[in-house]
Amino acid sequence: MKRHDGYYRRMALPALIITTVVFIMPVGAVLLRAFSSGSGLLETFTDSYTWRLLAFTVWESFLSALLSVLLAIPFAVFFSRYTFFGRKAILTMSDAAFALPAILAVLGFVIFYGNNGMVNNALRTVSGGRWSLKVLYSFKAIILAHVYLNFPVAFSLITSSLSSMPDAEEKASRLLGASEIKTFLRITVPKIRGTILATFTLIFLFCFPSFLIVMSLGGNPRFFTMEAEIYKRTYTDVNPSGSASLALFSFLVMALLLVLTGYGRQEKRLSRSRHTLIKATGGKLAKAVVLCIIIFLFMAPPMLSILYRAFFTKDGVFTLKAWTDIAARARSGTGTSLNAIVNSIVIASGSAMIAVSMASAIAIGSVRTGSRFATLLTSLPMAMGSVSMGLGFSFIAARMPFRNTVTSYVIVLAAHTVVIMPFAVRTILPGARRIPERLSLAAKTLGGDSREAYRLIERPMLKPYRRRAFAFAFALSLGEVNATLALSEGRVTTIPILIYKMINQYNYQGASALAVILLIIAITMFAIGETGGDEYAVS
Amino acid sequence: MPYLECRNLRRVFHHFTLDISFSMEKGELLCILGPSGSGKSTLLSAIAGIDSSVSGQFLLDGKDITSMPVQKRRIGMVFQDFSLFPSMNVEKNIQYGMRDVPSEEREIITERLLEMVSLPGYGKRRVNELSGGEAQRIALARAVAAKPSILLLDEPMSALDAPLRKRLRSTIRQIHDQTGITMLYVTHDREEAFAIADRIMIMRSGKMEAIGTPQELYHNPPSMFVAGFTGDGSVIPMSYISDKVTESIGFIRPEDIIINKTNPEDDDIVLHDATVTGYEYTGGGYEITLRFRDLQLKAFSTERPELVSVDAFVSRKRIIEFNS
Repeated sequence: MKRHDGYYRRMALPALIITTVVFIMPVGAVLLRAFSSGSGLLETFTDSYTWRLLAFTVWESFLSALLSVLLAIPFAVFFSRYTFFGRKAILTMSDAAFALPAILAVLGFVIFYGNNGMVNNALRTVSGGRWSLKVLYSFKAIILAHVYLNFPVAFSLITSSLSSMPDAEEKASRLLGASEIKTFLRITVPKIRGTILATFTLIFLFCFPSFLIVMSLGGNPRFFTMEAEIYKRTYTDVNPSGSASLALFSFLVMALLLVLTGYGRQEKRLSRSRHTLIKATGGKLAKAVVLCIIIFLFMAPPMLSILYRAFFTKDGVFTLKAWTDIAARARSGTGTSLNAIVNSIVIASGSAMIAVSMASAIAIGSVRTGSRFATLLTSLPMAMGSVSMGLGFSFIAARMPFRNTVTSYVIVLAAHTVVIMPFAVRTILPGARRIPERLSLAAKTLGGDSREAYRLIERPMLKPYRRRAFAFAFALSLGEVNATLALSEGRVTTIPILIYKMINQYNYQGASALAVILLIIAITMFAIGETGGDEYAVS
Repeated sequence: MPYLECRNLRRVFHHFTLDISFSMEKGELLCILGPSGSGKSTLLSAIAGIDSSVSGQFLLDGKDITSMPVQKRRIGMVFQDFSLFPSMNVEKNIQYGMRDVPSEEREIITERLLEMVSLPGYGKRRVNELSGGEAQRIALARAVAAKPSILLLDEPMSALDAPLRKRLRSTIRQIHDQTGITMLYVTHDREEAFAIADRIMIMRSGKMEAIGTPQELYHNPPSMFVAGFTGDGSVIPMSYISDKVTESIGFIRPEDIIINKTNPEDDDIVLHDATVTGYEYTGGGYEITLRFRDLQLKAFSTERPELVSVDAFVSRKRIIEFNS
């Protein structure tokens, strides 16, 4: 049945073309460079080192995703079953972790778990220098940081899925005499199997192109992922052809993974049946308190240690030096901190605005035309790690007839837009799916056309999703290091780039002060994204 | 000349084919009645222009609207689930379809329509705050405000509870009588159709089974399907109650089977030794199950029956006869 008049296709087309072109350009540049290396490409594809890199990348992603999901399940089951004071705060905190820049985790880990970090200082003080904890610069540091960033993602997704599922079957099972454990294994697990698998896949795909954590917390080429090796080949070995070949290999593997895992597939509609939360009392309340404390102890210390180090020296002396440096526009590395703050906000606002505008058109267009092609196409940038993306853009920049600060900004903006685009589309897509097509049909029976129906009815209904997508895209762009580092050539410095450089210079206090600013901006954007709720929900 | 004429409408589905032609007069309220999956809603979508894959021709007030887009047809529609625009308040919803109407006039019309649907002062309310019945009345007001040439109502009360449906159906009839708008009303509820329709069209498997006034269809159904669909009744081979050898089948409404009649009439057929096997109190009387020979019959009585053998009386002229 033909229900639309081509308006939605026309609306989505320009956004799709722009996304495709901006994505194809760096991919094409990488391809050209890889193929122009002659036998280099074949060598890369057949080199045992390439396959060892792949095996390690798959292994660290698999382990990170598995641990994140396994740890999250018991918490999610409890949080989806019981209500208690503080439940909402913990859930909001884990939602906020979606927007937590990886650089903050890196800095928090260095300050808290580092060889001279707070934990080790405390242990040495207690033991008289005999005890210490070796966490950083090892494989376990990479996994721990990945779990730190992704446990809240898994916890939030699984809790949300469980909470929206009707619990009538569980009640029936208990009434028929089954124990709580039997009910969980026989009834709940089969129901959430899909969600667990989808969450595992998402985290695996997040960890696969990991670069920053691997470079900063792995500290050893033995623990290099493909993205880290691409960065090394480009900037340390100055071997652009070798890095292009590897970037192409990585892209093909990721694209294959995306297709195999069906990322971008339309999720099932959940039933509207009731799910009742039980008020936790007695033993359950005690369990709730213990679980909340565990989450707090796992999540909060690295962030609190950043806050502490922004105001105190390593020896515990209060100081505002880092803050006065920021205010005095002190030069730090490649630019002033104030410049970096302004740059970050401008780039994040610009790229988020562009991404959300295009994502809205693509999301509503793909829902109305029933096409999965558009969402699949916009998922593709996920297959290109952001270091590879930056590499592609840097090849393009190298061929530009003139290069100045403005072109650098434009390229960084384009790279950020492509990197955040899949997330913007996926945030708006559920909103587009929730708008019944019959509203647009109703408008037509009242004399309105598709354009008017979109402007007056559908677009306002997408508003909360657009706001959430903007906040999410802004936060992602704000925390983006990989692509920016790969292509800015020192012309464009953002907060995370400066933090990264300060970490490498052991200027943890300056990095912490900037990290606090980054955290405040990220949390503010998260709060903006979450305000208002779904005001136009269809009853 | 008919006001709306649908000629040779056809669409092939896996399980049935929509194949229908019908017409209706200006100002008429025609109900389309049929079981689920009989093609009622598909027909409505085709008339509205939402489903363009139905072939055939539509003439509205003598004008061919077949290739006209939905928004140009001036055909209003009220949906099962109201389809109010959540981004607008009640007032803006009602005013959405008012085109080329000055703003001061819009407000007057809106108030008048809100009064007509018994919701005065609701203009500034958010649509998410309305109950189901209120939402459907606003949907009606919105459809009427656009001054449609014809108003299509697609099972508008299926999402509401029984007492509300009863109240709202009289509201719909009142709106029809006040505005004179031609209405095409789809329902699967026989009682609803009987209550408000000028005429009823019965559909079965994509085809028109019968069309007529509620009285015609109830008392003189053209087929056994229509007889059964328009009300309860008992099927009895005519050979059981006739001296002639015949293959035909009789259909008798429950109220036409009277037990223990004190003053039988000349043309009454007596079913001797029928047994009352059960009864149900329906509020207005008793629905009685009778066993007569190898048949099960349904009768109706205002008095509570005894579970005994009785004589049941059927007026010969009330038996609807069909060839088997």
